[in-house]
Amino acid sequence: MESLYLLIPIALVFCVIVIRLLIWAIDSGQYEDLDKEASRILMDEEAGKQKPPAEGDKDNAD
Amino acid sequence: MTGPQPCFHCGEPVPSGTRFSVVIDGIAQPMCCPGCRAVASLIADSGLASFYRQRTAFSDKPASDAPPTLAEYRLYDDPTVRSQFCHRGEDGTENARLLLGGVTCAACTWLIEQTLLREPGILDAQVNLQQQRLAVHFDSARIQPSRIFALVEALGYSARPFHSSSQRDQIEQDYRADLRRVAVAGVGMMQVGMFGIALHAGDLQGIALEYQTLLRSVSLLVASFVMVYSARPFFTTAWRHLRHGSLVMDLPVALAIGLAFSASVWATATGGGEVYFDSVVMFTFFLLMGRFFEKRMRRRHMLACHDAEDSLPLAVSVRRDGAWERVPRRLLQRGDTVRVMAGETIAVDGTVHSGTSAVREDTFNGEYVPRTVTPGDAVFAGTINLEGSLELTVQQLYENSRLAALQQSVERAQRAKPNLARMADRLSAWFVAGILVITAATGLVWSQIAPEQVLWICLSVLVISCPCALALATPAALTAAASALRSKGVVVHGDNAIEALSRSRLLVFDKTGTLTEGKLQLQRVVPCGQTDARELTALAGALQQHSNHPIAYAFRDIGPLAQVTDPVYVTGAGVEASWEERRYRMGSERFCREIAADLPAAPDSSLYWVALCAQGQPLAWFGLSDRLRAEAGEVVAAARSAGMTLALLTGDSSAAGKRLATELGFDHVGIGLSPEDKMLQVRNWQQQGQVVMAVGDGLNDAPLLSLANASFAVASATDLARAQADFVVDSDNLGALITSLRKARQCTRIIKQNFAWALGYNCSGIPLAAMGFIPPWAAALGMSLSSLVVVMNSLRLNKSRDQGAA
Repeated sequence: MESLYLLIPIALVFCVIVIRLLIWAIDSGQYEDLDKEASRILMDEEAGKQKPPAEGDKDNAD
Repeated sequence: MTGPQPCFHCGEPVPSGTRFSVVIDGIAQPMCCPGCRAVASLIADSGLASFYRQRTAFSDKPASDAPPTLAEYRLYDDPTVRSQFCHRGEDGTENARLLLGGVTCAACTWLIEQTLLREPGILDAQVNLQQQRLAVHFDSARIQPSRIFALVEALGYSARPFHSSSQRDQIEQDYRADLRRVAVAGVGMMQVGMFGIALHAGDLQGIALEYQTLLRSVSLLVASFVMVYSARPFFTTAWRHLRHGSLVMDLPVALAIGLAFSASVWATATGGGEVYFDSVVMFTFFLLMGRFFEKRMRRRHMLACHDAEDSLPLAVSVRRDGAWERVPRRLLQRGDTVRVMAGETIAVDGTVHSGTSAVREDTFNGEYVPRTVTPGDAVFAGTINLEGSLELTVQQLYENSRLAALQQSVERAQRAKPNLARMADRLSAWFVAGILVITAATGLVWSQIAPEQVLWICLSVLVISCPCALALATPAALTAAASALRSKGVVVHGDNAIEALSRSRLLVFDKTGTLTEGKLQLQRVVPCGQTDARELTALAGALQQHSNHPIAYAFRDIGPLAQVTDPVYVTGAGVEASWEERRYRMGSERFCREIAADLPAAPDSSLYWVALCAQGQPLAWFGLSDRLRAEAGEVVAAARSAGMTLALLTGDSSAAGKRLATELGFDHVGIGLSPEDKMLQVRNWQQQGQVVMAVGDGLNDAPLLSLANASFAVASATDLARAQADFVVDSDNLGALITSLRKARQCTRIIKQNFAWALGYNCSGIPLAAMGFIPPWAAALGMSLSSLVVVMNSLRLNKSRDQGAA
């Protein structure tokens, strides 16, 4: 049972990491719009940022 | 033909005779107007047609037929205007924030983002669907804000600069803070729960003191963090209200959390007794979660708070040194001469200097029939110039305009809105008092029987009485009711609105645009001679094609008899044209008498009459009125059978209002009322103890809506009216009023059931705990189960879909 003295601190470290991660995500605005994110996966043809406009016309005929 | 086809873009019926279509995904789709065609072909041509497959609702109809030109947006490049919504970053790029209109689903956000990202110079574009907002990061050396506005509006959405206000910023900060608290409580709950399982197992099968102390200490550590970080608002709210002498639901919550936590700390320190860390943290998490959802549901519309000033144009044409110049409206001064073209919104209060036109003043009186203005007449900011261009002398800028006075009365009404005490808060006052008395009595009795047990028994009384289910009862039911209403096309965003709605017994309607369609319709034709009425109507239709007065819409669907020639539109009077070698006139009585002197007087005053005559021969009178909505009668009857008293308050002073009220059987009627009169009337009723439910659509209803205890705006209402209302009814379906009323009453019943259950559970648990029969694991289990019952009961609001359909 001595292993508890090692395992519990490890669990706590994970706990702190998860909280930090969540708070970072919230503060960087990732939870601002829960309505949009839910259906974004359904949208295809994501154009890369700064994609030249000429490409958009013919490639996407699916 | 089987009735008109819906326009593929906006869903409105395609008028017969129009032949617009756009090829989308290989199929030619019908379009109702050039505006929709322009938007749809732009979308199809840029390879984004999958928007139409993904969207969940029809798009808004574009405001104008022609795609807007870039020149109109040049104003946004003006440094003073630009600085209001753009922020320059350190590397020379800029961030702009725009408020969008017409964004209905995730497909819209995708369409806007994709279109903008293809534009060179735009580095990033993010649409926030919940807040209807667009954030663009762009390189100002390669693209100007005007281009961004033009791109968004070309897609059929409206865009205007987003001005941040301290209130909006506060709402946003609160949202993030709430979410952080929920996150911390959630992770904490999982962690403490794991240790809790070990401790409970230890209680049952024995555990070495060393490990028990270890597990308790670690639980203490995590729970303290959750207490300090997540549970703080309960304590601050309870304390703030306690100082003012009021007992709110947060007080028993704070008391239970605080005492259970302190007792657990004491038990950990002394090594005896029981710890309740898992229950405390779990309760905090559930409660924060419930409140977060309830708040989120309301936040959507709080952010889009509209100001009457937003409806005014940003730029105006002003005469400077003999030439017309576009300048930002804020730079105007009194005495300037401004020009307002037909179709534009008037930006200032002023007097007409030259020009004749008709001005639609539904902002102030809710009516769609315009007023004719000639030089010397006063016109007001926020009204729309319909016919000819006007030159105005500026008398008052926005700050002192009639429109600003309206906005102020909206704000005054908001402050004056009577606060109905929440059921939960009224209940909690009794609850807290009761618990404290019982705990004190228990302590007193046990100090006689077994003094060493007093502390633990008192604590288990407090823990078992922990108002978990009680505190969850309201938010769970409200959230379930709101999501049920949402699926029926009603958006809820008022604070405490569902409760107020269920208690209201007086329903106040606005007339134009709410009970009626807000569009003039041809009701009667009275021929003056022998000519057939149908022939005359067709002739009228042909003449009205050349008018842009609102009455022309009433004739739009009438197939014109033939093409008339040489049409002349006389502002403020009517239309004149030639047909088969004769001159015809249609319009006001005076205008027609000029060519046909023996025109009889209009038949009566109940309708809006327009005359038609040929050279020297009167032909007919056409009676127009605003048609009642098809479902209005049904809704009124349903409201009556639901026990509502009905009132009609309208700005229209004609006899039509009174006639309508008697037809539908209203109990109170007020006609010719200004927005202030309406407010006064509602306040009188409220002072008599009535809980008022109001329905409206126009800017002129906004003060009324913000004063009423529960208010509805129809979806086509102006932005300001929608922002003030507690409920927005989609799809112009008045029947949703009754659905909402029923749902609200059902919701109140469910809340009462929840309270009954929670109180029953607490009341039966307390005596057992007071006698020392309840072990801690049973208390924790009971607490979770009773919360679960409350949540399940609330979810019934969501399930009974067929029952409430109106």
